[in-house]
Amino acid sequence: MILLQSHSRFLLQTLLNRVQNLEKAVELDYHWVEFDDVRYHILVSMKNPNVLLLSVSLPIPPPEAVFIGGLPFGAIEALKAAYGVVVQILDPPRDGFNLTLKLNFGKLPLDEEHRHALLVKIASVREVVLGAPLRVVLKHLSSRTVIPGIDGLLALVHRSKESFFLVPQPDKVTVVFPMRFKDSIDIAFATSFLQEFVEARHTAGLNNAPPCLWSPNPPLELKEAPAEALSANAGFVSFVIFPRHVEGKKLDRTVWNLSTFHAYVSYHVKCSEGFMHTRMRRRVESMIQERRFFHNQINLVRVHSFAVHLVISYHVATC
Amino acid sequence: MDPTSRPAVVIDYGTGYTKMGFAGNVEPCFILPTAVAVNESFLNQSRTSSSKANWQAQHSAGVMADLDFFIGEEALAKSRSSNTYSLSYPIKHGQVDNWDAMERYWQQCIFNYLRCDPEDHYFLLTESPLTAPESREYTGEIMFETFNVPGLYIAVNSVLALAAGYTTSKCEMTGVVVDVGDGAAHVVPVADGYVIGSSIKSIPIAGKDVTLFIQQLMRERGENVPPEDSFEVARKVKETHCYTCSDIVKEFNKHDKEPAKYIKHWRGIKPKTGAPYSCDIGYERFLGPEVFFNPEIYSSDFTTPLPAVIDKCIQSAPIDTRRALYKNIVLSGGSTMFKDFGRRLQRDLKKIVDTRVLTSEARLGGKIKVSILEFTHNKRCFQTYNISSIFIHVVTGTEFLNMFVVLGFQSQPVEVNVVSHPIQRFAVWFGGSVLASTPEFFAACHTKAEYEEYGASICRTNPVFKGMY
Repeated sequence: MILLQSHSRFLLQTLLNRVQNLEKAVELDYHWVEFDDVRYHILVSMKNPNVLLLSVSLPIPPPEAVFIGGLPFGAIEALKAAYGVVVQILDPPRDGFNLTLKLNFGKLPLDEEHRHALLVKIASVREVVLGAPLRVVLKHLSSRTVIPGIDGLLALVHRSKESFFLVPQPDKVTVVFPMRFKDSIDIAFATSFLQEFVEARHTAGLNNAPPCLWSPNPPLELKEAPAEALSANAGFVSFVIFPRHVEGKKLDRTVWNLSTFHAYVSYHVKCSEGFMHTRMRRRVESMIQERRFFHNQINLVRVHSFAVHLVISYHVATC
Repeated sequence: MDPTSRPAVVIDYGTGYTKMGFAGNVEPCFILPTAVAVNESFLNQSRTSSSKANWQAQHSAGVMADLDFFIGEEALAKSRSSNTYSLSYPIKHGQVDNWDAMERYWQQCIFNYLRCDPEDHYFLLTESPLTAPESREYTGEIMFETFNVPGLYIAVNSVLALAAGYTTSKCEMTGVVVDVGDGAAHVVPVADGYVIGSSIKSIPIAGKDVTLFIQQLMRERGENVPPEDSFEVARKVKETHCYTCSDIVKEFNKHDKEPAKYIKHWRGIKPKTGAPYSCDIGYERFLGPEVFFNPEIYSSDFTTPLPAVIDKCIQSAPIDTRRALYKNIVLSGGSTMFKDFGRRLQRDLKKIVDTRVLTSEARLGGKIKVSILEFTHNKRCFQTYNISSIFIHVVTGTEFLNMFVVLGFQSQPVEVNVVSHPIQRFAVWFGGSVLASTPEFFAACHTKAEYEEYGASICRTNPVFKGMY
């Protein structure tokens, strides 16, 4: 796995299970947490097996990010556009959650393929809600306009109390990620990973990818940003998104990849650490093997010389 | 946000299946086969190609191939359909065998299946009671170094299986856990939450052997199963059709009288040619699980039936715990899920216990009467000496002990009780989920700070062994 998938695997599995056994009423009450503090909760009751309540809680927004009624702007519209009649948004949401959706399985499309596609879409509710503002901005980019009322910097939440920044312009959108890691080893890995990442962009095969830059200091675009949002210990990564990156079907993937960029880097940092350990273990094992080999050799020599000694002493004794 | 405010991740990795999910739920999120399919083509690559210029070439050749692996069902499917992936099972007989594969397995569990950030959650992992301290250290090292978990608890799976039966009405932490998984089977006595390490018995027959036996039976009968698929078919047959019978001879008769009722059919598709095939499933339905009760039908090396092993295990435990142990025999693991397994076990065990009681009663009955007679004769002594010294005069050594046992039996028969959960398959996971959702859990964990201070040796000891290891 190189990229993170946009749908939650467990949510999709539960939904598919539910749809296949609709006639069997069950009680379901699961809660789980995904990366970047997105919490899910699903509830199905015996009384009403056709209805599933899905609650989602989002990371706590930092002060600079705009949240309207507990959701990023454009989220409600995005939800309605994506799910249509199958999903009803409950207001107010369940206690401790930002959003509660009421799914009605009776209203799912009958066509197998459409139904599956819709369930996958529901399982990617995180992309729909958290990626909504980014999607709005990129939609405007594809028509080469800027959202009226927004000038300069736009902060969007991607992790708990952390945000990344957009600078929308009619012909391009600059996205800047301040990268923060907790562990000192992680910081070192991430820094070199990001430098390699930028380096890789310059190779011949990737000419069409969005240009990206890494710098240890905040780039010029962020000069208006609040100071506390700029404390990044693994530098800043910026991407420049052009209209060609958000054409048609590419839009969904661009939104997902950008809104989970931090999780992507952190996943690869962990993988690199794992890879390092694998190699270190192999090294230690080969050294132990070598040591054992020489140890045995020395023992052999010792046994041999002892035997010779015995023979000689025997000869001496018999003489 | 503090990691203690998020639910802990509970992963119970067994030889056959891994159960994982978040604490506080009643079921694990995923139950996956513990298998990894790795693309190993990159291992044999020469190192000369590591210059920066041919990055693209390297990329396509597979420098990224260390990420090119699959786990669980996907791994099984991949290894079947393509030759570049080699399948490996990181756990053998309940012990981690291949740490590289295990690390990869955890990596996918965390990032691809549970999709959580390991830095955000405390982790509860399980181990078998016979795991070496070194292996626990390795686990701790990988968890803290690679995944940076904030806290880790390595629990013994049999204690968790007991905890799974823990309800508010009955808090019983004394019992024998009969844990028969896919690769290992242990009988573990636990007293008040502490494992009695010296009495643990393990059996060389587990779920995989049942599968092998079924495979062998089907092959010998000449069923039309493609050889490359036969193990998988045997596994599915075991999981869906097997049951425990009360008596083999009667069961054979039943099958012969009414084949239509008892013989099942299996339909499959040959993986290479895609042609459909079908085969019959007959005696192996009850002969498979019978391996535990009459092991001589499967192997000539090990012939002690499971009930006898359990009895031996309890007899070797401290005498004051034996009654409580007989009373609470808990089944756990996928291979105890055959229909009526618990009932058969209880019946056989009860038979062993009752026979022993009868024989020792018959052997000692006369003597006790004599000793009681002597006791009444020596009434004067009774006044001059204290009671215990007279007893020692009358009956000596083991007879003394046995007399008490017999007297005890006469007043109160031994209660043998085999408990089966409805959730036996993931009872260990459920116990972990219960344990990890208590507030005390976070205090009992090894934390990252402790790891950094003392190193992996903090994981060496497990408190449930009370410092025995």
